[in-house]
Amino acid sequence: MAENQTEYYKIERAQEWRAEIRKNIKVKDRTEMIRVKMLEQDPLIRNKNGLEVNLGLTEELAVTEAQRCIDCPDPTCITGCPVNIYIPKFIKKIEIRDFLGAAQVLKETNSLPAVCGRVCPQEKQCENSCFYTIKLNKPPVAIGFLERFAADYERNSGKINIPETAQKNNIKVAGIGSGPASLAWATDMARMGYDVTVFEALHEIGGVLKYGIPEFRLPNSIVDIEINNLKKMGVKFVTNFVVGKTASLDDLREQGFQAFFVASGAGLPRFMDIPGENSINIFSSNEYLTRINLMGAAKDDYDTPVPFGKNVAVIGGGNTAMDSVRTAKRLGAERAMIVYRRTRNEMPARVEEVEHAIEEQIEFMNLNNPVSYIADQKGRVTKMVLQKMVLGEPDSSGRRSPVPLEGSEYEVDVDIVVVAVGVSPNPLIPASVKGLETTKWGTIKVNEQFQSSIEDIFAGGDIVRGGATVILAMGDGRKAAENMDIYIKTTLKHKSND
Amino acid sequence: MIDLSVQYAGLFLKNPIIAAASGHTSSLEHLIELEKNGIAAVVLKSLFEEEIINEFHNTLDADDQFQSNIEFLDYYDYELKKENVNRYIKLIKDAKQKLNIPVIASINCVSAGEWTPYAEKFEEAGADALELNIFILPSDNAKTSIDIENDYFKIINSIKEKLSIPITVKISPFFTNVSEIIQKTSKTGISGIVLFNRSYSPDFDIEKMTLNTSNVFSSPNDYTLPLRFIAMNSKKVSCSLAASTGIHDGSALIKMLLAGADAVQIASCIYLHGSTHINKMLVELETWMNSKNYLNISMFKGKLSGENIENPAEFERVQFMKYFSNHEI
Repeated sequence: MAENQTEYYKIERAQEWRAEIRKNIKVKDRTEMIRVKMLEQDPLIRNKNGLEVNLGLTEELAVTEAQRCIDCPDPTCITGCPVNIYIPKFIKKIEIRDFLGAAQVLKETNSLPAVCGRVCPQEKQCENSCFYTIKLNKPPVAIGFLERFAADYERNSGKINIPETAQKNNIKVAGIGSGPASLAWATDMARMGYDVTVFEALHEIGGVLKYGIPEFRLPNSIVDIEINNLKKMGVKFVTNFVVGKTASLDDLREQGFQAFFVASGAGLPRFMDIPGENSINIFSSNEYLTRINLMGAAKDDYDTPVPFGKNVAVIGGGNTAMDSVRTAKRLGAERAMIVYRRTRNEMPARVEEVEHAIEEQIEFMNLNNPVSYIADQKGRVTKMVLQKMVLGEPDSSGRRSPVPLEGSEYEVDVDIVVVAVGVSPNPLIPASVKGLETTKWGTIKVNEQFQSSIEDIFAGGDIVRGGATVILAMGDGRKAAENMDIYIKTTLKHKSND
Repeated sequence: MIDLSVQYAGLFLKNPIIAAASGHTSSLEHLIELEKNGIAAVVLKSLFEEEIINEFHNTLDADDQFQSNIEFLDYYDYELKKENVNRYIKLIKDAKQKLNIPVIASINCVSAGEWTPYAEKFEEAGADALELNIFILPSDNAKTSIDIENDYFKIINSIKEKLSIPITVKISPFFTNVSEIIQKTSKTGISGIVLFNRSYSPDFDIEKMTLNTSNVFSSPNDYTLPLRFIAMNSKKVSCSLAASTGIHDGSALIKMLLAGADAVQIASCIYLHGSTHINKMLVELETWMNSKNYLNISMFKGKLSGENIENPAEFERVQFMKYFSNHEI
């Protein structure tokens, strides 16, 4: 933590209102309070509708949870947040029922608090660094629930605070892709007075927030409100525009753009390359989720429907796999299965998503791996051949590796398979920009300033990380914005000196 | 004019020397060099499952940015496998385009599972044959020797079912009754058996007190092991036999042919003496044939095999006892 930042936290913590509420409840009493539970739809009702699973906290629950926070002198939770939200301050604002004030604190560093409050893996980030987790071995303060509460409160109040922007400097900058990295970058660039345009290949803005995350986890309307805030700040969005195809970066340079932030994501699906994987009704998770989330494929009146399927198998154990299998259940699957080659302990998916899936009667076939698919005469998948696995020695990531059990193959009836075994970076920009250095993973190489091998191109999010959480992508966007500003000012200074 | 050509596993070879799967058969440049020096066929360097797993671990270690990104990496071994297989397919295609000799693909496997579809891809890419380099290290205490032997046949049968090109199998000598395994394997419908493969053996560095690699090259004395088993089995098998391990000169090559081998595979001597050594071995073979008035290899192939000598037991214990009784201390 930077020294001046530490000093800032110290000064803020010493403010009278904070000191006052610390006195109201003894630390011992705070730490003995029980973590509140998120209100949720009934699992057996929600698994038949597309409505949001989590219903949010009531004001009373939020205040109660906020009281658990002991307002540490050394707020370790902040170090766990990629965008450094001033967590104790916003929580204490909730404790004194200044809910709009809490939202304002969130927005100082996070342009998408309602989104992050819903999809961030807080249990691996801020909540994992909470005093309760580190020192008390107790459930952490529900920072994510409170973030969502404050953001939702502000939105529902109709008094949405639009961040102030500096005087326009008329310097044009472009974002490529409109996912979380780009939205965070655009917010900060607009705040600094830049003329910001975000180019999006699809017809909707929001990137993975819209096409990848189902509405039962993150309603599109929430994303749209955050996007509208950006529009109000002056950010321009151009949809159906594929940079590298519709126009090249050189074309955009000619149009006066001074710098670019590439956040084109990881939209290239991966498959396992096993026999029968090309059969009809075997989808990549990208295709399956995009068609349903963004293109109305689950609706009767749309031209490109997806089949619903009685026996749906989703291959993988990440968040995308959970999103896919829970979507399939909501579309009427009698048997919606997760097929994962390790155990639940090794699953990359958020704990909450796995728990929700279990509650919704998703069948977990752990320690199983498909080795082939069998199709009917029309080429439609009818069976998957699974091989049983056992756990072997730990690999470099520390997780035990799956080892096939020879001769354990068996068949399971399926009519839809969704392959959710990861994605690779979108190759379009790396392939279309000469001299842009990439890694062996296909990601764009950047330095600590998120600047690529071409000086006016910055990059962040999945196109740099391969696959990242929303909040990590946003953190990249913010750092890239800060450094792009320095780059542009330095370049302009040199030009004026010439 | 002496004819050195042979038939091995249904393939026509201009002479009996095949380049075994090794680093020398892993790039097109090396393959061209081998052909230029007279090699009759090449077995491309094996695709090892373990190598792919190691590559995965090395990649992770070298790039800790991705260490915490479990969802990105969860199935990344499949991507590496695809990359490796695609590289291998390219090598097969390039080799087929540039070389005029048979190109044999090779898989080093401990299980059949996912290697079967890859084998089909190698056939599609134009490989003239496939060599299965099977070595199941008997480290699982729960398995009996029969279980392990059955695993070999499972692998052979599952791959055999899918391929129409000749399949050869390279085995180790570590069976209780290796002759029985050789004969049983030959009856599975495969086209050839290679005796024997060399497995990596760990060794200790007693100064540094660490684990290291033992000598990876065969020695010229190692040829006697395959020689014995080829001589004992060459007339009893229903497929071709190739000798491998310890064949470093023309003399060892000739001995293998006399024992009944259809061809030999060499690797260590190329590492030790360079590709030009192939030519030297061929000259030695031709000179010897000339001196014995053999016009082609079939005139002497198997002449000293177990079936063709008066007392085949000499290949077994009797010869051993005689040897030591003649060497007084």
